[in-house]
Order: sequence, then structure tokens, then C-alpha cells
Amino acid sequence: MANEANREHSDIGSAEEIVAFKKESGLNIRGFGVTMIRAGIVGGFLLLWQIASGRWIEPFLISSPSRIFASLLTGFQTGDLLQHSWVTLQEILIGFPLGALTGILLGYSFGRSRLLAEIFEPIIIALNGIPRTALAPLFIVWLGIGIWSKVGVVFLLTFFLNFFNTYTGMRQMDQEYIDLARLMRVRGLKLTFRVILPAISPYMFTGIRTSIPFSVIGAIVGEFIAATEGIGFFIRLSAGIFRTADVFVGIIVLMFIVIIMDKIAGTVEKRVLRWQSLTEHVQVQG
Amino acid sequence: MAETAIQTRLEDQPRDASVIQVENVSKLFRTPTEGTIGALQEVSVDIRHSEFVTVVGPSGCGKSTLLKLIAGFSAPSSGRILFQGEEVRGLNTKTGYVPQESKLFPWLTVEENVGFGLDSKRFSRQDRERQVSQFISLAGLAGFEKYYPAQLSGGMSKRASIVRALAYEPPVILMDEPFGPLDAQTRMVIQDELLKIWEQKRQTIVFVTHDLVEAVALADRVVVMTHRPGKIKDIIKVPMARPRNIFEIHRQDGFDEAYDRLWNIFRHELNIRSR
Repeated sequence: MANEANREHSDIGSAEEIVAFKKESGLNIRGFGVTMIRAGIVGGFLLLWQIASGRWIEPFLISSPSRIFASLLTGFQTGDLLQHSWVTLQEILIGFPLGALTGILLGYSFGRSRLLAEIFEPIIIALNGIPRTALAPLFIVWLGIGIWSKVGVVFLLTFFLNFFNTYTGMRQMDQEYIDLARLMRVRGLKLTFRVILPAISPYMFTGIRTSIPFSVIGAIVGEFIAATEGIGFFIRLSAGIFRTADVFVGIIVLMFIVIIMDKIAGTVEKRVLRWQSLTEHVQVQG
Repeated sequence: MAETAIQTRLEDQPRDASVIQVENVSKLFRTPTEGTIGALQEVSVDIRHSEFVTVVGPSGCGKSTLLKLIAGFSAPSSGRILFQGEEVRGLNTKTGYVPQESKLFPWLTVEENVGFGLDSKRFSRQDRERQVSQFISLAGLAGFEKYYPAQLSGGMSKRASIVRALAYEPPVILMDEPFGPLDAQTRMVIQDELLKIWEQKRQTIVFVTHDLVEAVALADRVVVMTHRPGKIKDIIKVPMARPRNIFEIHRQDGFDEAYDRLWNIFRHELNIRSR
């Protein structure tokens, strides 16, 4: 159908329209090669690590892939690791959406209301100057050593990143889009949901995706300071008694949490920003 | 005798009535480097119902500023603008605006863009669909309804942008150098299409351009503006019959006459400035 339409309008339809719909051919062979090389690098690194451990470097310093794998298995079998992971995950699953939503909402409101922005912008920028993880001990004092103090730290880290990105989006937004929409008598909810939010959505997603690793950092820092459960607690405990393999197990779990969250956000982003990616065929890399 | 005279006058009333009256409008901008700049100075012009008016002038003469004032994007520093006798305050939602760049909403499909101004109070679902598909085919974009702006060529986005402004049927369309970035051929094709659409719909159009040929080819009247601060130098009537053939516009009666007058004014302008 696309081709037909193109032919019909060949007098004006230019090359870029056709490029946009070109299926990338030969990608599979190249993709396979890339995967193989990548696997080789990772595999080689693990192999080197395995060989080095105990031979050139003390195992309690760097452990080894096989030990880590074994620890991972026993950790999950005893259910110990599962419990720690679940606690950390809870902290993130509560703090992250709350922080992201509040950040986006406030960023949006500041963008809409000059008065709000004038009053609060300097305050927020000043607050942003505080290294936020330094506030973590305070949260422990305020909210106890349970999950809520960590939820607080996660919230804080997530909030600022989302706020700043959304607010930047609001300020960089092309005023002409809003003028045009308002000239068409579009206002209220339709203006918000059909014009403003889509216009700033690339910034919103940047905020969400950059804040994912930080939300995990927040949970871990909170758990480092004072906790009885959670991956951060598990890592600190393991390091304290030189169970290096378990430290790496904790790190791997965290890595997976971040990867999975980013994957989900990435999938949603791709769907929501479909209009943006349709002609992304510009080649900068050789 | 007297009776018919009165009747004619009554009939002519709506047609000759001014839709837009620009009265002694000046617009000043304050800039950090050059102090206060006058973009428009004491501009007055009446634009009549169903009229196609083009505005020409050197760049920086305030042509676009004039359009933005009529649309109500900003307010005049002095003077006033009347729309059907009422002063324009805030956005003038009786106007449609076609900006220099197409400015289609990139997150909406062609269909959604064109239908964006059709609100559910004035148009039923069915009417809306009919209206959208009618204007999409008018723009020669049938088959591209589900495309996003990023997938369109420059000419196609331009046409989509024009019908987006036409589709919700505002009585006045303001166009700000809409064909500027297009190549010469595409430009002619779209000029031709615009005239065809206009012959059918007869909305009032105010069209800003820096191209003298375009200004004459499209217009009933050409408003000529001078270099900053923009003043109206002259208003030229174009005595060409309609419908016009854009592709052979030079051969049409009346073209030379209007173009020569226009060019004389500009030559004069250029001479003065080079001395």
C-alpha cells in the first residue's frame, strides 16, 4: 500500500519516503557476527577471570565466575537471596514510580505556570545542589530502618531527575505548537494530552530512563547505612566477612533489576515515541 | 432606479465588508543589544471578505509580525486590529495559521493533524471523517492518512499544513511565507493547488511572501511594505482574471502591469538604500 501511494505521488514524493520504509536487508548475517564477537569478548573476560583467580590473585579479593555462579544458585535455593531481592525490589517499585510521577507532574506544572516557576525554581535548584545520597542517614532517622527510609531515598533520587528533564522539555517546547493548537480552539485536557505531553515525551522518557539506575543506587545506599534486609544489606554483610562471591551475586542481582527496568521502559518508549523513530536512518557512524 | 441602487448596495455589503481592519498599528520590540526596534509603524489596511491579499517586502520589514498580530499571538504596541468590527484581544480563533515551517504535530498522523481543529461540538464523528478525507484528497494526500509527518516530503507536509488550517473552516487564513523552503517546481504545483482550493472555498487569505511573482500571481491585492520599521508603501490591485493558470502566469493579461508597478516600487526602495 505504501508503495502504491508512493508511485501515485512520484512527482512530489521524494527519496526519503522510500528510505523510511526500506527493510534493512543483510542485517541477519551482520547481526550474527556482532553477537559472536560480543560473546567472545565477554566469554574471554570470564575465562581470564576464572584463570586469574587463585593463580595470580587471591580468590577472596576477586572471587571467580564459578564460585559466584555456585553462590547464586545456593542463594536462590535457600530463599535467602530471594528475600533480600524482594525487599530491595519493593523499595524501588514504590519509590521509583512515585518519584517519577511527582517529578513529571511538578516539571509540567512549572512549565505551565510562570508564577510557580518563579517562586520555586531557585529553591529547587538550591536543593539540587545537595548531594542527595548525603540525605540518606536523615531518612533513616525520620522513617526508621525498614523499607520506608529506602523508599524515601529512591523517591528523592528519582524525583529530581524526572523533574529536571520534564521541566527542560517544557521550556524547550516549541511555543508555535501551542499557539497553533490554541488558534484551533484546542485547550484544556486535549491541549495537555494531545499537544504538550507528546511534545515533551522525549524528555520525559530521558528522565525516566536515566533515573532507573539512580533509583537502584538510592535503595542500595539506604540499605548500606542501616537495614536488616535487602541486597544492599546482603552486599555489605558479605563483604564484611570476605564472602566476595556473595558480593558479586548481589551486584549481579542489581544489574538485572536495572536491565529489566530499562528494558520495560525502553519498550514503552519505543511504542509511545513511534512517530519519532520512523525515519531514524541517518548514519553518523561508519 | 433608486430602488435597484439600494438593493445592489445591500447585496454588496457583505462582500465588500472588511473582515480585518488594521488601524494605525505599530509594534515595537525591545532587544538587549539594539534597544527598541520598530517592527511596524502606523500600518493601516482593510482586508475584505473572500479577498486574497498578499504582503510583500524585504526581509525584516515586519510582514510576519503583522500576521502574528492579526492572529493575536501578540498585541500591537499601539493602534488596533478589528475583526468583523470587533477589536482583537488575545488569540483570534477566527483565523487559521500556516507557519513558515509546516509545523505539523509530529506525533499525530496526517489524518489526525488535518482533523485536529475539528472539535466534537461543531462536527459529528461522521462529518469530521468526511471533512478530513475531503481535505486530504484536496491536498493530494489520499493514501497517506496514516503517515506521520516525519515520513512525508517537504511538499507533502506543506500541503498537509495548509489543509490543516483550512479544514476547520476559519473565515480567515493567515499564511506566513509558506512556500519559502520549497523548490521552484513544487512551489508552483502547490500554488496552483492553493488557488484551486481557494476558488472552491473562498476563505479570506492573507499571504506573506518575499517573492514578487508569487505575490502578483496569487493576489487580488498586493500590500507592499518598506524596510524596517515596516510601513505600507503602496497597495496594488492585480487586474488579472480568475481562475488563473499559475504555470503560464506571465502570459496572462494584467500580470505585467501589476508586476511592473510592484518592481518599480522595489527598485526605488533599493536605490534609496544603496545611496
